[in-house]
Amino acid sequence: MYQYNAEDSNFLVERVDQFEKQLKRHLAGELDDAKFRSLRLRNGLYMELHAHMLRVAIPYGTLSSPQLRSLANVADKYDRGFGHFTTRQNIQFNWIELPEIANLLRELSDEGLHAIQTSGKATRNITADPLSGLTEGEIEDARPYCELIRRWFNLHPEFSWLPGKFKIAINGAKLDETALRIHDLGLRLVRNSKGQLGFSVFVGGGLGAAAMIAAETASFIEVEDILSYLESTMRIYNLKGRRDHQKKLRIKFLVRELGAEEFSRLVDEDWQQTKNDSKLKLNLVELEQLKKDFSLPIKPIDLGGFEEKVDFNYSIWKNNNVRSHKVDGFSIVNISLTKLGAAPGDATSEQMRILADLSEKYSAGELRTTKRQTIVFPYVRKDQVFNLWQSLEKYDLAIPHQGTLAQIVACPGRDYCDLAKAVSIPIATRVQERFNDMKKLLDIGNLNINISGCENSCAHHHVADIGLLGMQKNGEEYYQITLAGETLYETVIGKKLGPSVSGENIVDAVETVVNVYLEHRQNQERFTEVFKRIGITPFKEKVYE
Amino acid sequence: MSEILQIESILNKEYESVDLVSFQEWLENIDKLSNLSVGVIIGPSDDVSLIKGHFDFIELIALDFNNFDDGRGYSQAYLLSKRWQFSGEIIGINAHLDQLQFMIRSGVTSYILLDSYIGLNEEDYANGFSICYQEAVNNSGLQQKY
Ligand code: HEM
Ligand code: SF4
Repeated sequence: MYQYNAEDSNFLVERVDQFEKQLKRHLAGELDDAKFRSLRLRNGLYMELHAHMLRVAIPYGTLSSPQLRSLANVADKYDRGFGHFTTRQNIQFNWIELPEIANLLRELSDEGLHAIQTSGKATRNITADPLSGLTEGEIEDARPYCELIRRWFNLHPEFSWLPGKFKIAINGAKLDETALRIHDLGLRLVRNSKGQLGFSVFVGGGLGAAAMIAAETASFIEVEDILSYLESTMRIYNLKGRRDHQKKLRIKFLVRELGAEEFSRLVDEDWQQTKNDSKLKLNLVELEQLKKDFSLPIKPIDLGGFEEKVDFNYSIWKNNNVRSHKVDGFSIVNISLTKLGAAPGDATSEQMRILADLSEKYSAGELRTTKRQTIVFPYVRKDQVFNLWQSLEKYDLAIPHQGTLAQIVACPGRDYCDLAKAVSIPIATRVQERFNDMKKLLDIGNLNINISGCENSCAHHHVADIGLLGMQKNGEEYYQITLAGETLYETVIGKKLGPSVSGENIVDAVETVVNVYLEHRQNQERFTEVFKRIGITPFKEKVYE
Repeated sequence: MSEILQIESILNKEYESVDLVSFQEWLENIDKLSNLSVGVIIGPSDDVSLIKGHFDFIELIALDFNNFDDGRGYSQAYLLSKRWQFSGEIIGINAHLDQLQFMIRSGVTSYILLDSYIGLNEEDYANGFSICYQEAVNNSGLQQKY
């Protein structure tokens, strides 16, 4: 597994030292709130009224078992024994004491973990397909590219004070598990007609009140040239992006105002000045080294006589949570952290330690985190999946939700978030209670429900099969329903169903939508396929009957 | 901001006083000012490309970094020094201690801090790191890992 070397670790320590000095100056009244805010956000630290939240990066969603243990220790020592896995391959701690922050960060840096640029108006943690390197038909593992691009934009002198945050995702697989076209910038690994490897570049995606799908600004940029192309994109954004309007800071507004074509033209014009600069070429020697560091720690094995155990509960869990691996003899195992009534993505320090131990026993000590807030074991031998399941059962971690409607993505909502217009988690709980029959869940199959408590759209409700957005109407909580959004096969923003529905009736409405789907489904059609075929009307008629 | 308007002249490398004019004033009086070797103050929203053809007549450029969160100055510094090869001084005015490392690496050749930072250890912020991960206009003193 790839690990930082001594220079990189030293850099992390230098960054903590610097931040500690800034914090001291702030506490001594020498650095005002506004400036300190800007600086602390770039170190992942949010300040709420009574507590501080720290967001730690999990680059490309890959964690080693010692790293996960280190996160568990932080949860115990500096928080209340919890961490929260987010939708963008970060983990958040919600109860951090300000004076302890430097020690906490130093402890994490011992394991190569950091919170650099996990917030603020700069390049955020770069996300990758959590199944990178594991699935059939992948063009290439995206993680070495993520790492090189992450490094390049780490404290970049020119682009650390952008108009708004800048989120990048990179996908090398057939299906898009990264939702790259709802990112500020998405890179898709592709091969051109000559078989050369490069990137298609998509710019200006994002959700929120003005949901937009990123436009393609370049269909093929050679691997070597990607850094200079990204710099040109950021330069145009840095110079021309809106800074005058709090709600128009993100690059999507610039792309929309200029038009995607004009935006690409400006980027290209700038890029012509730098694309031949040898100092801006991606370092191909380093790339090769990283490819080795990220290569899979397993070899195909022949499990000739192996027979799967017969157990009803096991087979349900396996059906939902286990996927086939491109390497013979192995499986990919998904572990859901979602529990009834708890915030999706929450993990206790104990769970983290158990997962770390189990990953060493069953998955070469490596774990991945996903945008559905689940944990993946990437290298489980097929003949050990049953044993793993038994261990997970023992610790209450064998929830067979993965991929079913019960694996709901919900933001903290009004229970924890100041900006919320409505609750999210209690709605998730009520939906799970309504659909608590495993037979029914299996019959419904793969169906995503995402719930955001306000227009900031932290739970990505626009791109779920069924999206719920909390809002206020005459002082009461209502939910707007959107249908048939998706990112996996193509990127589609869900369509609004009609008038918002009261909190009281929202679970009935969800059930009605599911029933209309089941009624019209032919063969194995997915929700979005049925929606495309029959349109919105049958859903509307039944929900607003 | 008002602080900027108070700067009417600045010392150059040779410690000679150079008169400063605003970008707007300079554009409106190019002919007259070209003979006087003035310095031009450029703010974040000024279109820096407009003075590209006039470098021979500009003694120095003062980029205004007063607004902490407005990062356009860094791209302006890059364009002036690297792409258009302005050979005079590029002075960062109204500079913030915590941003010196970014300014210098983007091509700012000297700086004048805001008064509120006087007495703090500048070295800590100008050179807080031993390594850098990307090509920049000025990476001196940094181990380059890229
Ligand atoms: C209570 C804590 C939280 C607050 C106050 C908060 C606030 C916000 C705000 C204001 C935005 C919009 C920013 C913009 O578009 O410029 C945002 C976006 C986002 N948040 Fe949160 N958030 C919170 C928790 C979370 C959690 C727990 C997650 C993950 C599960 C999350 C994931 C996201 C994502 C993915 C976006 C980007 C959506 C997009 O593409 O536009 N947030 N958040
Ligand atoms: S979507 Fe709104 S309510 Fe939910 S966490 Fe984000 S800001 Fe808070």
